[in-house]
Amino acid sequence: MGTLDGQTAIVTGAAQGLGKAFAECISAEGAKVYICDIKAEVNAVAEGIRDNGGQAEAFVADVSNRSDVENFVAAAAKDGIDILVNNAGKWKHTPVTSDWEQTLADYDEIINTNFKGVMYMSRAAIPHLIQSDKGNIVHISTYYVLPPKSNGTNPPLTDLYSASKWGLNGFTAAWSKTLEPHNVRVNALCMGATDTPMLRGLYEGDPPADAVDSWMTPEQIAGLLIDLVNEGPDGRTGENIGAWVGVPVELPPEQEPHHKITGIPVG
Amino acid sequence: MTVSLEGKSAIVTGAAVGIGNAFARALAIQGVNLSICDIRGDDLQEIAETLDQIGIEVESTLADVSVPADVRGVVDKHISRFGGIDLLVSNAGTWAQSEATDDLDKSDADWDKVVGTNFAGVFLFGRAVIPHMIAHGGGNIVNIATDHFCTCGSPNVWNHDDAPDCPHGINPPRPVGGGSIMDLYDAGKSAINGLTLSWAKALHEQNIRVNAFCMGATDSHMLRGFNNFDPDPAEEAKLLEEFGWMKAEDIADCLVELVKEGEEGRSGENIGFALGHPVRLPKRQPIPTFMYEPLS
Repeated sequence: MGTLDGQTAIVTGAAQGLGKAFAECISAEGAKVYICDIKAEVNAVAEGIRDNGGQAEAFVADVSNRSDVENFVAAAAKDGIDILVNNAGKWKHTPVTSDWEQTLADYDEIINTNFKGVMYMSRAAIPHLIQSDKGNIVHISTYYVLPPKSNGTNPPLTDLYSASKWGLNGFTAAWSKTLEPHNVRVNALCMGATDTPMLRGLYEGDPPADAVDSWMTPEQIAGLLIDLVNEGPDGRTGENIGAWVGVPVELPPEQEPHHKITGIPVG
Repeated sequence: MTVSLEGKSAIVTGAAVGIGNAFARALAIQGVNLSICDIRGDDLQEIAETLDQIGIEVESTLADVSVPADVRGVVDKHISRFGGIDLLVSNAGTWAQSEATDDLDKSDADWDKVVGTNFAGVFLFGRAVIPHMIAHGGGNIVNIATDHFCTCGSPNVWNHDDAPDCPHGINPPRPVGGGSIMDLYDAGKSAINGLTLSWAKALHEQNIRVNAFCMGATDSHMLRGFNNFDPDPAEEAKLLEEFGWMKAEDIADCLVELVKEGEEGRSGENIGFALGHPVRLPKRQPIPTFMYEPLS
């Protein structure tokens, strides 16, 4: 018996990294998962879950493409939707000195996936999450949006990535209010360095072993997500939940209302 | 220390009415030559004439900040006329009611209008002027956000000694976000908060300062529209007094003060102006937000 028996979850960007770990861990708790990615490897992730006795269906779908989103959510909705994990995201260096054509292309690439894609997926899924009466939306954000525990947040070469995640603050805050009467909770996980293909992609060749050893693992973050969902309908909503390298990966105490998004403790 | 702004040049977006109009007039009085743009042609012409009478050079363009070619056009015209740019005030913004339960047709349209103007417009204008500011050895960017994530209670709890009537001291804590019916507005504006920090850090070495103004309710075209505020002129002053809205002219004075800090001035601050508090530029933070030391 799992803690999520009978529930249905959507995880976007589940072909690898965090999304794959979310899908596998949610499935291990008994939920049926509908997963998508722009990469066809998402099919193998679903197969692996089914091989382990779980229920999973995979779709090649782009969250920035509205008709992809509508088709994917319609397919998942036949079982009802209880959990939406907005994980799909792109990361790239977008230097402020890029030429104009590159600037426009970068805007579309990063913003349409990381920011507009979250709007599409959520708008499509929310009517079903309301039906659930115990719904959860979890955004996958970044610790850039929280007060840093070390120097280096809001790195200068990732203005669009960072802004796309800051933008999610608006969704988390507003949606938690709109959806509270429907028992749909909306929170974001805001992680520091986690061992994912996205992070490894920043290195030429293999990253140094001591760096890798310090990173959090996707399974740890997935554990955090499960704990968050399992708070149940009376659990927290409208909160940015931080996870940092070097401190235990665990749900912090619920924040006071005016610190839910900013994460800065009363000083 | 303050510096003179005489003979500098600036772009102010959304300058036809409201707060942008007040920014343009305040800068003109300091002798700043201006490019202004807006989607409202008649009002734009009116403010252009006002600025001309103040005695500065004015370049006025009908432009939609959410359209990349329009942004390019305003910046290119400014550079060819003034030879460089010292200050960008990304003020243009808009509002539409939008919320979690909207359908996708409405959301697509709202996204283009609200995020397109409030966030893409700010991003594009900044990116268009940054290379010119770098080439010129410095510059100043002020983005206009909102108090929804930056208030007297959060992220920093202000001293309330001079605002005894503000209901948002330590208790009761003030919730963040503008409420449920402006999710795209809030999303676009909070994205500006992040952009401001990234740019401040990226451009620190190039003497380009980047800050945002995060204002609470200010008497503006947008807020009057939002509240359907179209009073009998005899009643107007009394009603405004009751609402306690901040005055656009006071915010504009703070903008001038910020710019006058000169190249040693602050950067990387999302500067809050909270209703119920005196309207003034707060003291500079000891450490820019983008260079926070470890909290623990």
